[in-house]
This record gives sequence, structure tokens and C-alpha cells, in this order.
Amino acid sequence: MVDLLFYVAAALCVLCALGVVVSANPVQSVLMLLGSFVGISLIYLLAGFQFLAAIQILVYGGAIMVLFLFVVMLLNQGDPAVLASEQGLLSKAQLAGGLAVAGSALALLLAAVVRTEIPRPIFGYLWPEGGLDPLVGMAQAMFGPYVLAFEGASVLLLTTAVGVMTLAKRQRSKPSVKAAPLSSTTEGSP
Amino acid sequence: MNVPSEHLLILAAILFAIGLGGFLLRRNVIVVLMSIELMLNAANLVFLAGARQHASESGHWLPDGPVMVTFVIAVAAVEAAVGLALVIALFRRKQTVSLDQLSPTSD
Repeated sequence: MVDLLFYVAAALCVLCALGVVVSANPVQSVLMLLGSFVGISLIYLLAGFQFLAAIQILVYGGAIMVLFLFVVMLLNQGDPAVLASEQGLLSKAQLAGGLAVAGSALALLLAAVVRTEIPRPIFGYLWPEGGLDPLVGMAQAMFGPYVLAFEGASVLLLTTAVGVMTLAKRQRSKPSVKAAPLSSTTEGSP
Repeated sequence: MNVPSEHLLILAAILFAIGLGGFLLRRNVIVVLMSIELMLNAANLVFLAGARQHASESGHWLPDGPVMVTFVIAVAAVEAAVGLALVIALFRRKQTVSLDQLSPTSD
């Protein structure tokens, strides 16, 4: 029963991932990606990683998807005129080349998986009865051997917050006197 | 869940290939970023399969796999934020998010 649920979640993931790539409307792509993330979260849950399932939903389904959806709406990507402009841009050769690269990557990975002998897992859930709580173990690892990576991640997030604000800030007309004649000459030239 | 680890890895391979296909074939930058997210999720599934496999073979589980998954999720969030900020900045300059029109070699 639980195994069957895994295959249902896997099918959901694959179908939604195909929908992301195939659908012409970016809004549909975002919603399909959300479905794929829900399926992956279900797989985490079935494998016994409840915490990962929760942060998958919270961070991916909550934060990242909302960010994507905001940008799609902000840039007016669901507009029929915008959608029509993207149609027919791929030539046959481009399509064949992209599919060949993706297909050969798939074949390579599948061959690597199939040719490796992996013993079947003995028990379904990760921790034995009365064993280590996964969240406690994760916290001990994260603040033990991985504490440097943890601090690095926090520095990365802070840098990102500052960098994104700098990048996305609307460029105001520069108040400095030096920039004014420069911009007027560039505007005057065709 | 008593699913063999091969099936998890095969699922990860399929998801990665779909993401790679989308990354190469789509022209919309936002969809390209979404394809990158798909590939990162496939990598997460491989970490999960590894942690599960190690636990079942040795009898005790190591938290390294799940910890790595959390780091990948953090990096994915950072990547999405920076990528979308770049998309917005590009859209301000060029009024498009189509990679064909953004490419410096095409005009």
C-alpha cells in the first residue's frame, strides 16, 4: 500500500515535470512545478523524512513558487501576445539537439543505475524502533561537523538578500552632474 | 516504504533528464530557471536514496544525506532569488524574457 503510494507520487512528479517543460504558458508551468514538488514531498514523507517533507513544502511550495508566480505576473507572462511571440522559435535542429542531449543524459544515468548492484533495503523506515530521532540527529550533524557549511549558508543568504535588492532596484536617474551629459548623448544617438 | 533504491534513483534520473531538456529547449528564462529547480530536486532524491540505502545496509542511519538536502534547498532558494532578480533587471532593459532575443549574438 505504502509502496503503491510511492509509485503514485513518482508518476505525479514525472507528469508534472513534463508539464513544466511542455506547457506554453508560464503560469501553467509554475503550477505544474508546484505539483511536482508536492509529489517529491510525498516521497520524502514515505521514506520517513518528515522534516524534509515539511521544508520541501514550506520553502519550495511556499516561498520559491510564490516568487516565481510573482515574477511571472509582474512581467505579464500570461499575456496572449507574449505567449504568441515565443511560439515557433525553435527550429527542428534545435529541438532534435536538445532532445538528443537530454535523452543521452537519461540513458547514461539509467545505465549507471541499472548496472550497479544495489542491495534491497531491509527495513522501510530509516530509524529502528526507539532509535535516534531523525530531527535530533540532523540538528546534531548540522551544528556539529557541518557547522561551517551552516554558517556559510547563512552568509550566502545574507549576501543574496543584499545582492537581490541591489539588482532588482529600479535604476533612478543619477543625481550626479557627470552622468547627465553622458546619458543625453547616448539617448541622442540612434 | 520498501521500494528498492533503484526506483528512487531511476525517478531522479528521469526528473533530471526532464529538467535538462527544459533547460536546453525552452526560450523563456523563467521556465529555464524552473527547469534548474527540477534538476536540483532530482539531486535531492539521490541524497535521500543514499541515506536510506546506507541506513538499511549498516543498521544505523547517518544524518549527512538529509543535512545535504537542506543545504541544497537553501542554495536553490538563493539561486531562484538571484535568477529572478536578474530576469527582472533584464526585462527592464530589454522588455523581453525570451533567450533568443536576449542573446548578444542575435539581433
